[in-house]
Amino acid sequence: MHNGILYLAGQSLKELMLPVIGSELIVNLIMTLICIVILFLLVATSALVFTLGERKVCAWIQVRIGPNRVGPWGLLQSTADMLKLLTKEDIIPHGIDRWLWVLSPILIFIPAAMVYALFPFDDGVIFADVNIGLFLLIAISSQSVLPFLMGGYASNSKYAMLGGMRTVAQMLSYEIPMVIALMGIVMITGSLKMSAIVEAQSEVWFIFLQPIAFFIFLVTALVESNRPPFNMVEGESEIIAGPFTEYTGMRWALFFLAEFANLLSIGILTTTLFLGGWQGPDFLPTQLWFWIKAFLMVIVYQWIGWTFPRTRMDTILSFGWKVLLPLALVNLLLTGFGIYIFRWLL
Amino acid sequence: MGTYLELKYLEELKHSFASMEFDSQQPEPHIYVGSDDLLGLMQRLRENPVWSFDRMGNITSVDYKEYIEMVYMLYSRRFDRWVTVKCRLDREKPVVESMTQVWPGTEFEEREIYDLMGVEFLHHPDLRRILMPDNYTAHPLRKDFVPLQPKIEGGVLTWHKQKSSS
Amino acid sequence: MAQTEKFVLNMGPQHPSTHGVLQVQVELDGENIIGAKPVMGYLHRGIEKLMESRTYQQCVPFTDRLDYVSAMNNNLGFCMAVEKLAGIEVPERAQYIRTICCELNRIASHHVFIGSLTNDLGSATGMIYAFRDREKILDLFNIICGARMTCHYIRIGGVIADAQDEFIRKTEEFIDYVPQMLDEYDRLFTGNEIFQKRMQGTSVISQEDALRFGMSGPNIRASGIPYDIRKIDKYGVYGDLDFDIPVGRTGDNWDRYMIRIGEIAESAKIIRQCLDRMPDGPFMAKVPKVLKPAKGDVYHRVENTRGELGFYIVSDGTTKPYRVHIHRPSFINLQALDHMCRGMVLADSVTAFATIDPLMGEVDC
Repeated sequence: MHNGILYLAGQSLKELMLPVIGSELIVNLIMTLICIVILFLLVATSALVFTLGERKVCAWIQVRIGPNRVGPWGLLQSTADMLKLLTKEDIIPHGIDRWLWVLSPILIFIPAAMVYALFPFDDGVIFADVNIGLFLLIAISSQSVLPFLMGGYASNSKYAMLGGMRTVAQMLSYEIPMVIALMGIVMITGSLKMSAIVEAQSEVWFIFLQPIAFFIFLVTALVESNRPPFNMVEGESEIIAGPFTEYTGMRWALFFLAEFANLLSIGILTTTLFLGGWQGPDFLPTQLWFWIKAFLMVIVYQWIGWTFPRTRMDTILSFGWKVLLPLALVNLLLTGFGIYIFRWLL
Repeated sequence: MGTYLELKYLEELKHSFASMEFDSQQPEPHIYVGSDDLLGLMQRLRENPVWSFDRMGNITSVDYKEYIEMVYMLYSRRFDRWVTVKCRLDREKPVVESMTQVWPGTEFEEREIYDLMGVEFLHHPDLRRILMPDNYTAHPLRKDFVPLQPKIEGGVLTWHKQKSSS
Repeated sequence: MAQTEKFVLNMGPQHPSTHGVLQVQVELDGENIIGAKPVMGYLHRGIEKLMESRTYQQCVPFTDRLDYVSAMNNNLGFCMAVEKLAGIEVPERAQYIRTICCELNRIASHHVFIGSLTNDLGSATGMIYAFRDREKILDLFNIICGARMTCHYIRIGGVIADAQDEFIRKTEEFIDYVPQMLDEYDRLFTGNEIFQKRMQGTSVISQEDALRFGMSGPNIRASGIPYDIRKIDKYGVYGDLDFDIPVGRTGDNWDRYMIRIGEIAESAKIIRQCLDRMPDGPFMAKVPKVLKPAKGDVYHRVENTRGELGFYIVSDGTTKPYRVHIHRPSFINLQALDHMCRGMVLADSVTAFATIDPLMGEVDC
């Protein structure tokens, strides 16, 4: 039924284990655990890879060389950074709301990692292929608003408070155009299931069927994941680092772990929803196609981020409500007409 | 550097302001004026279109040990013309009218003079120390200035007079 | 009933975008600014007082530390004031070299302006590009005097060393590069939609306000007043040179940025003319080792990168100045900050601050 490399590898592992252990239930349990571990490793390594990747891409854009001292081509730079952050003093400021403050960096990581369960990495390789996949994905990812506000509120710092409030305003307003834009895809596919959405693009990618939705998604994804030019949450020239202002060492690093996990996940999401997911011409394995597209999208997001100056908070909000939302609704209408005409033609 | 205000205008001004003096032998005679007449003279120089000194080119003060002298250098963009007005103040208690009433842009400079030279300006909108700490008591640009010694008392930085031996 | 309170935010003295150690007390209503008060003095070194205990020659290095990104212009201001006081005639070649160095430094200072502005707008890329080009000028200074930022190159009576052929050749190369450089800036940010949107129509200073605050330099020119000491006083060789003063229309952030871009091109023009006309001859006048100007006072102003920089020197006939007062443009320009920030949002306060382009070394003196 499926023929992706990862799927076949998983199946053969299952077949190897079945005679040894005997019970199919236990084998499935072990497989699930292995998948969870792999996903977490993926999220953790994505942070390691992207710290370096971000700095290298940024350096290319800024006519610099970038990290090149630790290891060949600076490959071990992010490891060195991580070690440095681990050994740093953990400063806990006075007057904070201790529980919320400690929980915030941990909680922010959960939605960032959880969405990976819903990504179809390869043919048949999806951890939880639920029939409300896209809905669940958006629901989980929108939970990342809360930890930002928690961190901002609990820090007892004015900059953090401003940053926390900005996060809420910005993320909540951009959820709406994003969801409505993605409705077009759901209408064409007729399903919320992630694997179904990928399979529906076997002939033509949704980027060609839904160009307006793609544009809206590109913008909203940048906003949702706090990438520049929409990184109002950090806005380092105005509010220093927003909710992260008072965090140090590993707690601070957790925020960035989540940020890089988000960066990869919007890359994967764009690939899955608009660029045909793991599908591609036969001369390369499907798994390779998936990662090429995802990384290409990540580089595009970084490219946008490092070229543009930051927008202003009021501009962002008015753009979201006055431009993107009507545009998304128009897209929905056009998609409806398009489907109707398409059916009538057939 | 433009021209200096001509002698005939200076003579004309002298009729209205009794305390005004200048040395007509000098090529660029500075106007010396009493602190009572200062504001009136300045308003005249600023607002009369014959001169229209619309820029306060430089405002400073010099401690001459016997007295403190305020130095105002006015510049007229329209006629590319300069005039220097000086005003001697009592060194113990220097008080002068604030020029922010005529040129609002002198606010920071007068605060600086108040801070560093100890000249008090009447009718200044916000007369506070600007460069030195708020609880500093001396005026550094005075000629008899001795630096105060910083001390931390109860977590607050305070300033104390040095012992005369040091 | 809901109650609202003012939110006072102390931006600085340690803040990523207060280029130096300025503190701005911003009063906020949500994200809207209802007042911004600059608090300064964190970099106060008492230069005016220190100068009273040094000889005239020893005072010159202090002027480097005033406005440390355009040190040449400050050297020039002080040296010209002393020369006026002591009646020293500067050789023509020295004057041309001085002009070249000052204009190069003006370009370098505007690079810092562009760099810090784009960085404050959230685009670190712009900063890297501007600083990359600034590096070329600093290398030129390195050739001519061995220092990069605090040059101490212009001395009383002339300049300390002659302009070598290498310096002249490399300066010509740099001047040829300027149009290409400006074109790159235009493509990178001047034409950028977000950049324009954030700059146009924000923090407007009208002509009346600019005069009221006593502003000078590019800030007053952005409001539409062609007030440039180089044109008015024609000090040095500026009277013989052909250059324009870029003037803005509305006095918003955008104009203040475009003025500086225009000034870079004009400065390049000035340097080109100076290189063509530079005569041979001595580069230093005969200045007595022990300089004792006659009793009296003198005021001399030059066009610094940030505006009208004036030196008021009182001499009592000894080797040391009795009193030096420095009329600092950024200090006075900073008075407009409150006016510029009112009614803007928090992000604009940073832009406003960057476009006034104050330098804390000069503000605090």
